[in-house]
Amino acid sequence: MFHALYTAASGMTAQQINLDNIANNLANASTSGFQSRRVQFSDLLYQSEVMPGAAATQQTTVSSGLQVGLGTRPGNTEIIQTQGDLSSTGNPLDFAIEGTGFFQILLPNNQIGYTRAGSFQPNQQGTLVTANGDELQPAITIPPNATNITVGSDGTVSATLPGQINAAQVGTIQLATFANPGGLNSIGNNIYLPTTASGDAVVGTPGGADGLGTIQQGMLEQANVNIVDEFVNMILAQRSYESNSRVVKAADEMLQGLNQVAQ
Amino acid sequence: MDSGYYAACTALVARTQALDTIANNLANASTVGYRAQHNQFSSVLAQASGAPDSDLNQAINNYGILSGTTLDETQGALQKTGNDLDLAVQGSGFFVVQTAGGPMYTRDGSFQVSAKGQLVTAAGDPVMGDKGVISMPPGSVSISADGTISTNGAVAGKLKLVSFPAGTPLTSAGETYYSAPPKTETAATDSTVKQGMLESSNVNPVTSMVELITAQRSAEMMQRELSMYTSEMDKTATQDLPKVS
Repeated sequence: MFHALYTAASGMTAQQINLDNIANNLANASTSGFQSRRVQFSDLLYQSEVMPGAAATQQTTVSSGLQVGLGTRPGNTEIIQTQGDLSSTGNPLDFAIEGTGFFQILLPNNQIGYTRAGSFQPNQQGTLVTANGDELQPAITIPPNATNITVGSDGTVSATLPGQINAAQVGTIQLATFANPGGLNSIGNNIYLPTTASGDAVVGTPGGADGLGTIQQGMLEQANVNIVDEFVNMILAQRSYESNSRVVKAADEMLQGLNQVAQ
Repeated sequence: MDSGYYAACTALVARTQALDTIANNLANASTVGYRAQHNQFSSVLAQASGAPDSDLNQAINNYGILSGTTLDETQGALQKTGNDLDLAVQGSGFFVVQTAGGPMYTRDGSFQVSAKGQLVTAAGDPVMGDKGVISMPPGSVSISADGTISTNGAVAGKLKLVSFPAGTPLTSAGETYYSAPPKTETAATDSTVKQGMLESSNVNPVTSMVELITAQRSAEMMQRELSMYTSEMDKTATQDLPKVS
């Protein structure tokens, strides 16, 4: 009796997590390469006091059972894979991916991380690194005093070296993709790690037919957070939290009334 | 003892059970593809065997119980998500999911591609097509209104959509899965698939709030009735009547 209290509490907890997720999406609305997440809920088990379709008599069955659900739970937070807007920055070392691929970067623990944030800078050795100093893989080193760095849509990086007229190729950016990018593990700093759910990275050259996408130089991909949607979801989460707390109050008052009967 | 006392008790239990269902509906107001449950009350005769002595006797022995919960089959609102693998069904159809416990049916179309390249639900169970499990080659996905899935322009499969004749008892199994009695499914003819959308829960917050208030006030009435028996009538019987002599 009175599952209602626990059921409503499960609804309130779920909405709390929903709001946490919305807050994170909104907080990252200006983070380039950020991909928003959406909480998905599922219903919990049911207590079947009468199973639907059970025999009512030898000839007839009940048309609908008596099933009491025990609430909700947040099932997962799925990464939304839509393309973010591309904004032009004019910086030749800003790259945006138009497609589903990820840049590969070498993390300090020698693991490969994956990111869509394409804002790179050369370090002291001229190797392209992220804002955190992690190297782009395969490593691309821009020779000192090189000018006119150009990146083709297929990832070919070329630069004009001092004293030369023609541009020379200095490396190629490769992109990775996953069978289920929604199952990647976010570790912060815009970096994702592969999991068994996402599958192993499939590395390829941008611009091919395998859907990796193309590289746009001088552009950055904005977060794919839809502010309007997030606000609507925030209002819904708040109201849903309220209606669940109203159930807690109703159950509490019914119990209180019951205690008064016994006095 | 007074049969009205037990009638009030039974009705109070039924109202608390009803509150559980209402709480579950409101808790699942954000669950994609969730179907609201409605309470059904019915009356039982305390003395089912033998004809009641009089009409009056039948009236006072008629107890109200919660006899069942029915699923609300109305269409939930479609919300746009933009994810290519988010699908909503417009119409009465269900997606078919292969689980360890046999086929299950769901309206929650937030699908993903598993590491093995199969189309799966958020819980990781394969979604069934006309020819079994659907394998998804990598590439951009487009899904037509009749459920045909194409990746990079090549057909990968066709989603199986089924519906059930009116009155088929569907059992809620959690994870927004429903099970149905064997051999009741038929191909859904009235349903279309919308890509990049999800069907919201069809819980109506207004109706749920009204049901909540009704259950609460009705429980208060039963409590008032119980206290009439326990404090007023019984008190009179045990304390005041002996003093008459």
